[in-house]
Amino acid sequence: MTEKRIVYTKHYVVQLLSLVFVLFTHACAPKPSNNVDASGRLVGNISISGAFALYPIAILWSEDFKALHPDVRFNISAGGAGKGITDVLTNMVDIGLVSRDLHQQEIDKGAYPIHVAKDAVIGTINSTHPNFELIAARGLTQQELVDIFVTRKYKNWNEIDSRFVAQPIEVYTRSDAAGAAETWAKFLGVNQEDLKGIGIFGDPGIAQAIKDRPLSIGFNNINYLFDLKTKLPSSGLAVIPIDINHDGKIDTEEDFYSTLPELTAAVAANRYPSPPARDLTFVIQQEHRDNALLKAFIQFVLEKEQQGYLLENGYVPLNEEAIAVENKKLLTR
Amino acid sequence: MRFRLWKDKLVQYGSAFLLITKILVVVLIAVGLTLKSLPLLKNENLWEILSSSVWSPLRGNFGFLPFILGTVWVTVISLIIAVPLCIMASIYLVEFASDRLRKSVLPLMNVLAAIPPVLYGVWGILFVVPILRNYVAPLFGVDTTGFSVFAGGIVLAVMIFPILISIMVEVMQTVPQELKDASLSLGATQWETIVSVNLRKAKPGIIAAVVLGVSRAIGETIAVLMVCGNVPQIPKSWFDAGYPIPALIANNFGEMMSIPMYDSALMFAALLLFVIIFGFNLISRLVLNRLEDHG
Repeated sequence: MTEKRIVYTKHYVVQLLSLVFVLFTHACAPKPSNNVDASGRLVGNISISGAFALYPIAILWSEDFKALHPDVRFNISAGGAGKGITDVLTNMVDIGLVSRDLHQQEIDKGAYPIHVAKDAVIGTINSTHPNFELIAARGLTQQELVDIFVTRKYKNWNEIDSRFVAQPIEVYTRSDAAGAAETWAKFLGVNQEDLKGIGIFGDPGIAQAIKDRPLSIGFNNINYLFDLKTKLPSSGLAVIPIDINHDGKIDTEEDFYSTLPELTAAVAANRYPSPPARDLTFVIQQEHRDNALLKAFIQFVLEKEQQGYLLENGYVPLNEEAIAVENKKLLTR
Repeated sequence: MRFRLWKDKLVQYGSAFLLITKILVVVLIAVGLTLKSLPLLKNENLWEILSSSVWSPLRGNFGFLPFILGTVWVTVISLIIAVPLCIMASIYLVEFASDRLRKSVLPLMNVLAAIPPVLYGVWGILFVVPILRNYVAPLFGVDTTGFSVFAGGIVLAVMIFPILISIMVEVMQTVPQELKDASLSLGATQWETIVSVNLRKAKPGIIAAVVLGVSRAIGETIAVLMVCGNVPQIPKSWFDAGYPIPALIANNFGEMMSIPMYDSALMFAALLLFVIIFGFNLISRLVLNRLEDHG
């Protein structure tokens, strides 16, 4: 009698364990099952994860792709560039969204970048800064920015230029590891961890901190710095023009910051230096380059019409040559 | 008949199984974090990383001291603010306040406890940081942006108020009326009675409340991250920016997982946090046991 009961319970435990096991294994992301069905239609799943900078546009693209290929399902999540790359390398997702350059360690492991758009990181100050007009007229050189953000040689504004106020410079940087900060750091020849200053979480956070403080300096992504509706810098913020040729003033060819279309045109034509302009990238596995479904989606994203979305969302489309180069990446083995 | 007995057994074994699962999860967390931190520990000397203060992982400098001290600073500041306030508040609620006030304040405290941390963080950015910068710092003749361990401490202090007050009130209410009456009848004033009877009797409970508060404060992430400045330096004053361990993990995890050493360093930070909280709770548990035995 008793023995029998024990048998039952053991049986039950085994069942419960197997149920747990099934749930666990089931929760793992499904492996990409990409194929073309008999009538030549695309079928399958594309899962995407990664940088917040690319997330909104990736969703737009996926919806348009679904309209053309109703049998394709998308699964998109955001969580940072590093997570996107990790997920791609461990086969959890098909495409990682990345908003910085890949590190060599990541390429060595088989991550393969395909650039799909550009944007830029822009130096920002408060629009009520006492020397606002002067900064707009003379700009800051790369070296001056290095001495503000990296070496901390300049503690006060008047040490940069004697015409500025004798007040301390309040430097703000991103606290979270982010493509924007990494790109800004690259422009200054260092890594994000070398940027000095108060760390604020997130792009909106840094914008808010600079809006609150007249003597502050920081950096933002284009689409946080400019108002996408008015095409002008958001109220309270102003752009720091970069004095590219070090002549102590902003010449006409360096002056493209007043409206969003002007700035994106300058980024597209590489008149704004890169970095801080940067490529936004899809990362796939090296061996997935001939996968029919992924290839179809990435080629679709590189088409003119899809690239056209970018401008109104504060990104910069790739130019013709760049699109040709990226398309080649998919075909060559 | 047999079905009923079977059900009985089912409940017994089922609950046992769930209990074991629960304990296993904690063990698995510790094991997983340790395994993940091994690459770092193999490459670096443990004492070296705990005592060095240079943090630039991409160049191979893993100094955790600024983060450990940042955590300590923020937590200690929050205790300096919260503990005296909460002790006095709970004394007032138990000894002086009318029943109606007590009955309305305690539920309010529970509401405070339910507010999500991110709201405290926003409140910190909108109110605490500007007030520190514009009004408090000038009093001390300091120039600060306001993003500092002090701001983190204030936000944390407000966050641990509810847990401290509700436990302290519970404890104070258990002090026997006879003892208080005896003290008062010997001619002691109300305040003398509170110091020599209430507080002495409630000491273990108050310590237990502080322990719970500290456990919560050490692990609090987003609210502190938003106001503490996140500069990896050792804070030298209340107005310096600091960088607690949970903020380090939250800031870098999503972005840096694909770089093996960096990933390992973050996992080590998580393990460090785990060990600190676990050890702190263990020691305070032992202290409490001794206090209760003697009390």
